[in-house]
Amino acid sequence: MQKVNKNVVLAVLSLTSLVFLLFQLYYYKFYLSQKNGTVFSKARGSQSGQDSTRWHVVRKFLGLISSHNIPVYLIDPLILGLIDKDIEQIRSSSDGPSPECKYFCAPRDFTTFALLDKAWKHEVGLFRTAEKMGFQWLKVLNKDPRLDGMDDLSGTEIPLHYIFKLASHAIHLVVFYERSGNFLWHGPLRLKQHMDRKFVPFRKLHFGRYPGAYEKPELLLVSIDDLKVQIPKNPSSFLEEMSHSRFLECRYREARAFFQVYPDDASVDAVEFRKRAKSLLHLAALTLNNLGVKFWLSSGTCLGWYRQCNVIPYSKDVDLGIFIRDYKADIIPAFQKAGLPLKHKFGKVEDSLELSFQGDDDVKLDIFFFYEEDDFIWNGGTQAKSGKKFKYLFPKFTLCWTEFVELKVHVPCETLQYVEANYGPDWKVPVKTWDWKNSPSNVQYNGVWPVDEWDEVIQIY
Amino acid sequence: MDEWKHNPIIKPHKKRSWYLAWKYKLMNQRALRKLCQTGAVLFLLVTVIVNIKLILDTRRAAYEEEEESAQDYDDEMLNVEAPRHPVSNKKVLDVEVYSSRSKVYVAVDGTTVLEDEAREQGRGIHVIVLNQATGHVMAKRVFDTYSPHEDEAMVLFLNMVARGRILIFTIKDEGSFHLKDTAKNVLKSLGSQVAPFLSWRDMWTFVGKKGGEVYGEKHAKSPALSTWGDPVLLKTEVHLTSVEDAECHWPDTELNRRRRRFCSKVEGYGSVCSCKDPTPIEFNPDPLKDNKVFDVPVAVIAGNRPNYLYRMLRSLLSAQGVNPQMITVFIDGYYEEPMDVVELFGLSGIQHTPISIKNARVSQHYKASLTATFNLFPDAKFAVVLEEDLDISVDFFSFLSQSIYLLEEDESLYCISAWNDQGYEHTAEDPSLLYRVETMPGLGWVLRKSLYKDELEPKWPTPEKLWDWDMWMRMPEQRKGRECIIPDISRSYHFGIVGLNMNGYFHEAYFKKHKFNTVPNVQLKNVESLRKDAYEAEIHRLLGEAEVLDHSKNPCEDSFVPDTEGKVYVMFIKMEQEADFTTWTQLAKCLHIWDLDVRGNPKGLWRLFRKKNHFLVVGVPASPYSSKKPPSVMPVYMEPPAKEEGAVAVPAVAAAEQT
Repeated sequence: MQKVNKNVVLAVLSLTSLVFLLFQLYYYKFYLSQKNGTVFSKARGSQSGQDSTRWHVVRKFLGLISSHNIPVYLIDPLILGLIDKDIEQIRSSSDGPSPECKYFCAPRDFTTFALLDKAWKHEVGLFRTAEKMGFQWLKVLNKDPRLDGMDDLSGTEIPLHYIFKLASHAIHLVVFYERSGNFLWHGPLRLKQHMDRKFVPFRKLHFGRYPGAYEKPELLLVSIDDLKVQIPKNPSSFLEEMSHSRFLECRYREARAFFQVYPDDASVDAVEFRKRAKSLLHLAALTLNNLGVKFWLSSGTCLGWYRQCNVIPYSKDVDLGIFIRDYKADIIPAFQKAGLPLKHKFGKVEDSLELSFQGDDDVKLDIFFFYEEDDFIWNGGTQAKSGKKFKYLFPKFTLCWTEFVELKVHVPCETLQYVEANYGPDWKVPVKTWDWKNSPSNVQYNGVWPVDEWDEVIQIY
Repeated sequence: MDEWKHNPIIKPHKKRSWYLAWKYKLMNQRALRKLCQTGAVLFLLVTVIVNIKLILDTRRAAYEEEEESAQDYDDEMLNVEAPRHPVSNKKVLDVEVYSSRSKVYVAVDGTTVLEDEAREQGRGIHVIVLNQATGHVMAKRVFDTYSPHEDEAMVLFLNMVARGRILIFTIKDEGSFHLKDTAKNVLKSLGSQVAPFLSWRDMWTFVGKKGGEVYGEKHAKSPALSTWGDPVLLKTEVHLTSVEDAECHWPDTELNRRRRRFCSKVEGYGSVCSCKDPTPIEFNPDPLKDNKVFDVPVAVIAGNRPNYLYRMLRSLLSAQGVNPQMITVFIDGYYEEPMDVVELFGLSGIQHTPISIKNARVSQHYKASLTATFNLFPDAKFAVVLEEDLDISVDFFSFLSQSIYLLEEDESLYCISAWNDQGYEHTAEDPSLLYRVETMPGLGWVLRKSLYKDELEPKWPTPEKLWDWDMWMRMPEQRKGRECIIPDISRSYHFGIVGLNMNGYFHEAYFKKHKFNTVPNVQLKNVESLRKDAYEAEIHRLLGEAEVLDHSKNPCEDSFVPDTEGKVYVMFIKMEQEADFTTWTQLAKCLHIWDLDVRGNPKGLWRLFRKKNHFLVVGVPASPYSSKKPPSVMPVYMEPPAKEEGAVAVPAVAAAEQT
């Protein structure tokens, strides 16, 4: 009897333990899948449920927005990456049912869509319908940057991001705004104090860490996984653009403070120079963009942007920087074709190259070529009469987009370091007499060009 | 514990099924027992491990999540949201009202909601409307009932106020001189005992609910004509009602939500807040076919005249072809009520911190508004600029849609304006006719982006220059000989009476009789002939066929123009050089048209209508059209009035800004 009892006890114990274990496993799986579906479904084979959830959420969302006539397009880097592999096939294929869910079922936490602000009225109705369909939604508002540069205008805040959450999947809707300079802009995602920080894992969003600038995309209506959706016509170039899309807003507030201390020059000459510099910059940007050469605002033009969000009226020229690896022999003929004759050419492609073009009405366009070393970047200068070489050192930098005189242009992201390297810690104080050989704080004497090379490295027209 | 230890020899048994284990239990009881024990222990161990893992994972996930949200995505700037006033559950408001010769004030619960002790200002009856549920100020008005007709305005206003609102009255200086019986009766019907007997320089305060109880009234009689009544201070309590009682029960729609918000905040907008039959706030006018201005942004320049803005936006949103999404209202200053009006109509509004003073302030506001407009709509080539005191014609956008391509193609154009300075009831006839003029009329006009960005914005008058923006735009340095297109019959109507450079008299004299087009879908007939050269040819044709009037008659007399219809007449006036407008000014005066400065005269030629006949006036010999004058005709010369009067007229010219 005793022994039987012991056995029974043991069996019961084992059974309970088994049940308990199963419960634990179930709960563990449930918890994980809710948390981040990808991890578990990847690990286990049983992913179809998860996958179809994503597809269903996307389908519901597309239904929601089409019922309100809101044109959105897909910008999700994960899905666009998948699409890009089969882009030819997708473009050519008709609307027939697709055999498998290939794209919208791919494991991920979000699906990202873009919305052009001017393409919809800010209707409240959308959110009511969304709620009825079971979506939870979050709206991220912020100041309108298009009014930021203006003295003391306060508009209503504009929506920058929407997140629609249903079950374990969320749709991230990024609102794009058109800005002067004919480009699209999206804002950063910043949560305000009262917002739910756990609404979705914000960190995993692909858009919103920084503001971004994009060209207006050409769109293509495709049918994938039995869903009709607009995508950028060329997904790979969109993805490439996305990786360098970070946008810097001009420091309007600091610029205003600057003008408080140093009132702006509104004389006829200053107005005229600014107008000319602006049109020269527009022409240069057009020419270089057509060639596909990446350039950025450098020296005085960069300082003007950073310090006062405008052209410095006494700077007399427009300065651009280009990495030497982006140099193309076409640059000179292209500018000449655009009506900007070469004024001088110093250095050579291997060393200290610098081009100068003559714009209309005495405004000069200087293009400095930058050479990358392991821990710094430099560009060269040459004194025509003596053949002396100079070297201007900059800490390493990357490029960001900004808006300047109604143009989308690059500036170094690390602008402060760049400007400080060039103009020293007192860059905030305007200096009207500038000697490019001595004034910059990052200048180094770099020897003399050998006399026999002078014909090549010092060309003045 | 020893026997619980794992026995390697037994290991193979594990592979056996439980069934077998049970089957052989009698034979191998000891081994079985050990097996079961080991199995149970294993299970328990696994369970514990899984448990621990679960706990660890959960904690890690929770930790990550916390960290995640903490960084990067937090708004850097501390979002200082104005601390909301705790909704007071108080049911009673303390109200203090003071009336005296030189000062009035009203305090609600210790907060001063009205204080006026400025000299020479604010005379008359001050009225404040409070929300009966929240105690918020919904409207503030002052009616100078010392002057005529102001009492009528007050009656109108009081009739518009919804039943149940709390009304506070107080008199500053004098409020009875032109307070007629009708107005007194309205005050009496509100429960005032004193109102019917209010007389010269009496002081008076009154607090009551419209259509309900009286909370208090105080009165001080003026002892003599030359003195004022003693100051009176009324302290009383007002009982608040519930929010539900204070609101109307409109169906819950998006529009009504906007309406409810608006109506709970402000008063004095008439039927828009009527419970029974509210006037619509969405108009859905017919769209225009082939609308060329659908994508043109519309900037509405506004100050703190919310009632004007309300009237203006109603007419704007009723115009055919309007695109509400392109409308932005720019409010000069942080005024709430104009913003409420903007939100009522679901439009976007932008407030502008006032810079500088007077005319320069208006000018800076214009600049900021125009710059912002082109920033907000970077694609736009044009912007329509409107002001808050304009009625917009039903075919305003149709007019622009038909003519805007000229502004794009004809470099010699400065603007298109909806306003004809000389388009009075008796001088404008043809809604389909357009002119070219040398001045910049403003009052509803289209600005080319390139003109603004390349020429105007960079040298816009700075705040310290006290210039009128429109006067500045009319200066030759800016206009550079370019002309504007205007309609014969204006597509806008200037109704503002209170403005920077406006007063009732001025408005009566110069704006009231202005003709305003009310015909929809007018097909403009001579758009193509408005190009620079074509227009020149057109003028020559007109002058060629025009009948020369009898110059021996007095041009001011009605009989100067024969009683015909549809003819073209021409007269010649003396104009020694380009800036000699002596005769023109006199002629304009007697024709009762704009005479404060010279407007509407391309090259010394004025075009208007008299008695339904086209009437041309040519300045001889300054005008290039002088050659059309038959040699026998002596140009009319009209003497300016005596010098003193002339001297008075000059400053008026400077003040003739059309705010």
